[in-house]
Amino acid sequence: MDIIAANALAVGYGDETILRDLSFGIPEGLITVILGVSGSGKSTLLKTLAGLLPPLAGTFSFAGAAVDYSSERSLGALYEKIGVLYQGGALLNGLTLFENVALPVRMHYPEMPEDMVRDMVHAGLAQVEMAGAADKFPSELSGGMRKRGALARALVLDPAVVFCDEPSSGLDPITSSRLDDLLLRLKETFGMTLVVVTHELRSIERVADRVLVLNDGRLHFAGAAAGLGESADGFIRTFFLRKDHHDDA
Amino acid sequence: MSETIALPKRLRAAEVVSALREIDQKNAGGSLVVDFREVEEFDSSTLAFLAHLAACQPGITAVNIPEALTRAEARFARSPDGSCWPERTVAGPSGGRLDRMFQGLADRFLGRLRILRQFLAMLGDELYHIGRYLKGRRGVYPGEIWNQMFFMGYGSFPIVCLLLFLVGVTISITSADQMRLFGAEMYIADLVGYAMLRELVPLMTGVILAGKVGAAVTAELASMSVLEEVDALRTMGLVPEKFLMVPRLLAITLVVPLLVAMADVAGVFGGIVVARVTFGMLPSAFLKQMVNSVDWTSFAWGLVKTVVFGWAVVVGAGFKGLSVGRSAEEVGRATTESVVLSVTSIIIIDCIFAFVLY
Repeated sequence: MDIIAANALAVGYGDETILRDLSFGIPEGLITVILGVSGSGKSTLLKTLAGLLPPLAGTFSFAGAAVDYSSERSLGALYEKIGVLYQGGALLNGLTLFENVALPVRMHYPEMPEDMVRDMVHAGLAQVEMAGAADKFPSELSGGMRKRGALARALVLDPAVVFCDEPSSGLDPITSSRLDDLLLRLKETFGMTLVVVTHELRSIERVADRVLVLNDGRLHFAGAAAGLGESADGFIRTFFLRKDHHDDA
Repeated sequence: MSETIALPKRLRAAEVVSALREIDQKNAGGSLVVDFREVEEFDSSTLAFLAHLAACQPGITAVNIPEALTRAEARFARSPDGSCWPERTVAGPSGGRLDRMFQGLADRFLGRLRILRQFLAMLGDELYHIGRYLKGRRGVYPGEIWNQMFFMGYGSFPIVCLLLFLVGVTISITSADQMRLFGAEMYIADLVGYAMLRELVPLMTGVILAGKVGAAVTAELASMSVLEEVDALRTMGLVPEKFLMVPRLLAITLVVPLLVAMADVAGVFGGIVVARVTFGMLPSAFLKQMVNSVDWTSFAWGLVKTVVFGWAVVVGAGFKGLSVGRSAEEVGRATTESVVLSVTSIIIIDCIFAFVLY
């Protein structure tokens, strides 16, 4: 069953349409990877799906309910069900890692006893193997640790869908691979739905169940990730084999 | 008969420019032959030069082009139809010069109006958020108001007191001679008290807050916007305009009265020092004279004015900080604009107060 459904969606900034006529579904409990070349609009689409950027046209529904970008209530309902891992982590610099992860809990449930908040935060940090860094400030963490910490914050209220914007960018292959393991574990252990924007081939091959390929301002391909490397499609072959698709002609 | 220009062995950008200059001098509408025979060393400017001669210069013939250059030229990027790349034009208002001038002015005016509307909308939103917060005590990080009070109050206290003391000294020294001229030495207390409490302390405190607090708030919020921290707050279901701005606005509201009180004391103390040194006036006499002429409403209005200035600074700083795009250079620009906006707002508001109060 699709937890996210987009119909004739157009996204962009102001008068500039970056992607148009996008119709796709994102199935529940799987990892869907949005891929495309740099500047193809992957992050812009993610922003629209995360409720940060209203679409220029079309509709988008989450868990069967249409998302109305002009309604605070509708967006509030969306934000309750999602978590977002931003490219640089986006941890608040003035707070420790513990306080960052505790932030959504404290803000949404101010009446929750502090010992429960502590348990939730430590469980979240343990999940991303960051329990030992709870008292550190983001500036004291490496890039990979910041991303894992940010993932703990995104997960702390058990969202239905986690959006990850280029989780591997700027990370070495080993840290990147550990992050991929973490995403797979979240899917397998908790049946979580993940939407990952990336153009890292290794990540795509390891984690993707389904892919949405963006090219030339449109949805080029939507389907299963298995066997994508053997696709006859010129653009996808270029992407996966780094082979100039004009060579096929 | 056509003239010939023989190009040198090395034909790179510098030589291409010389060749173009020579072509301009020699090509007076007649035909011209450009001989490439000697050319051995070339780069992309040579290829662009060749394309320029072939497509864009009637009456000029390029001859003896070496094979290596021909091969390189075949792979050289050119416009799809092989013609010259179209000149880049910047779309601007159409019509005559006067039309364009008025259109430009109108666009700027409408742009400013749009910014003013957004600023006022943000001010209205903040009043709403503060009301909601005071009613429900939700949506603001616990302890953040104290942090901001510490930064805005304790952090600004030394500089505000020092500068206002010096302003008190300066105003007393500059007026002392005039006072002595009329034998009105004792009235220096009235002048210092009235000027400091009503005008100079609020104005100077506001300007110092704009430079210190306003710039810091804008830089912090703008950096948060660039680093996607503001987006992160939004997707956590928080309202950044409330989470980030309410603590700062409440902090400035609570801190300003203390700052104003201390600044009043510092400024008047500056006057007392000068009166003692210049006229030998006792501090007790100075204070007695000042209290007789300057009533508590001067202090109260000074306080009200400074709170309004503080709000203008923080709302202006938040407005600029939260409206930046995604590039780091916008942080610096927003910070500068925030200080200019805050100081301008302070002076305009002060002027309005002057009309209302006097």
